[in-house]
Amino acid sequence: MTLQWSPSPPDHVPAELIVDFDFFQAPEGLNDPVQIWHDLVRRGVPPIFYTPRNGGHWVFLKYSDIVEGYRNHEIFSTYQTPIPPIEPFPVMQPQGVDPPEHNVFRKLLAPMFTPLAVRRMTEGLQHRAQTMISSFADKGGCDFIADYASRFPTGTFLDLFGLPEERLPEFLALSEVFFRSTDPDARAQNLNDIYAVLEELFREKDRNPGSDIASAIVTARDENGQQHPWQDILNCGFLLFVAGLDTVTNTMAYVWRYLASTPQARAEFRDRLDDPTAFQLAIEELMRINAVSNIYRRVTHDCEYKGIQFRRNDRVILSNTLANRDPSVFEDPQTINLDRQVNNHVTFGVGPHRCMGSHLAKREIMISLQEWLRQIPDFELAEDQEQGSIFGGSVMGFTSLKLRW
Amino acid sequence: MRVVANLQVCQGHARCEDLCPEIFSTDAVEGKVVIEHPEFGPELEEKVRLAVRNCPEGALRIAKGGAA
Repeated sequence: MTLQWSPSPPDHVPAELIVDFDFFQAPEGLNDPVQIWHDLVRRGVPPIFYTPRNGGHWVFLKYSDIVEGYRNHEIFSTYQTPIPPIEPFPVMQPQGVDPPEHNVFRKLLAPMFTPLAVRRMTEGLQHRAQTMISSFADKGGCDFIADYASRFPTGTFLDLFGLPEERLPEFLALSEVFFRSTDPDARAQNLNDIYAVLEELFREKDRNPGSDIASAIVTARDENGQQHPWQDILNCGFLLFVAGLDTVTNTMAYVWRYLASTPQARAEFRDRLDDPTAFQLAIEELMRINAVSNIYRRVTHDCEYKGIQFRRNDRVILSNTLANRDPSVFEDPQTINLDRQVNNHVTFGVGPHRCMGSHLAKREIMISLQEWLRQIPDFELAEDQEQGSIFGGSVMGFTSLKLRW
Repeated sequence: MRVVANLQVCQGHARCEDLCPEIFSTDAVEGKVVIEHPEFGPELEEKVRLAVRNCPEGALRIAKGGAA
């Protein structure tokens, strides 16, 4: 299917709903990318507004609208959504397909990411975390992003896909361009590169299937006993690549940055090392406060929502950090309360496309933190070193995070 | 008291299982909620209520009275 898309000129958008906002750009002086979004709230912009930047898109500020954006797939589709637009963009399986068709691949993947399946990965994740942390624990410092946060989820991904560890640098490089580049040529080339890797991977697993996720996808059969369409198989691999790497890296970066600068929080987590339930409750609050993803949707038809005219193909951004700090839902939303009792955060989305990898992501972060605190109980920001820069975009984060201990 | 789940709405966040494993678990196929013991006594009421309130989909509710 060829996508017929042209940027919506904002002539259907009333002037009072237009705000100049570029979610890739941090305002001068900000050192925390989520503030790109919270700055909007401080500016008092309308709760639903349109920015002409990055091809033009809407932004929802409130929890209730963001949740509606996730759930109401009749209006807010996941099909071909990137901002700024890349055309044509792969129809990620199952993320880029609306219900009920999305269920084909959702059902295929689901058993591999249930809490039960993820609990079985615990030992492997612990081993990976222990080995990686012990390689620098006696060095007195590290760049947390380069030395741990980018390597750990990428290594886990390679493992799940039955790929050798030696390919880590190649996958890190692909991920870097995919998430950081705003150059259309570089992005188009990057997509080709990623698909070339996936093509080779799935061909190999088709010939010699193993017990990994790539093999499970390529050997799965549809209701007629046939292999799924080859392009869908590639698109499913693409989704897992896109969804599981940079998100975990940057959430970890946020968590370690917070702990490095908050001795009391480190002590809290150390105290909970022998109480997994309390540890998990505290992790959940870190998930709420450190929501790094901004999720895209695309309007399916000309319609009205909350009295505002939307036009077919309009893009919408659902910013999880905004939902998670909405004062109408969360008590004292800007405060990190490790004992928060009611915590309906949307860091993993809600509705039919709720992040399937959430249990794996949380386990990766929890195990990493447990192993880290056992080996490096105290650490701080290396303030004397260059701390790199921050970035916005679909996944927000930091280019480096220098720690010392 | 009794807790019930709407499986059409459940998306497998598993927050209920985290907060009250005495009552809730998740299945191995879709990862959706399985209510092992729908009937619960006052000793678990607080934990069950917390699990219900933490469901991001609003898929759980507490039904008045005993077995249906």
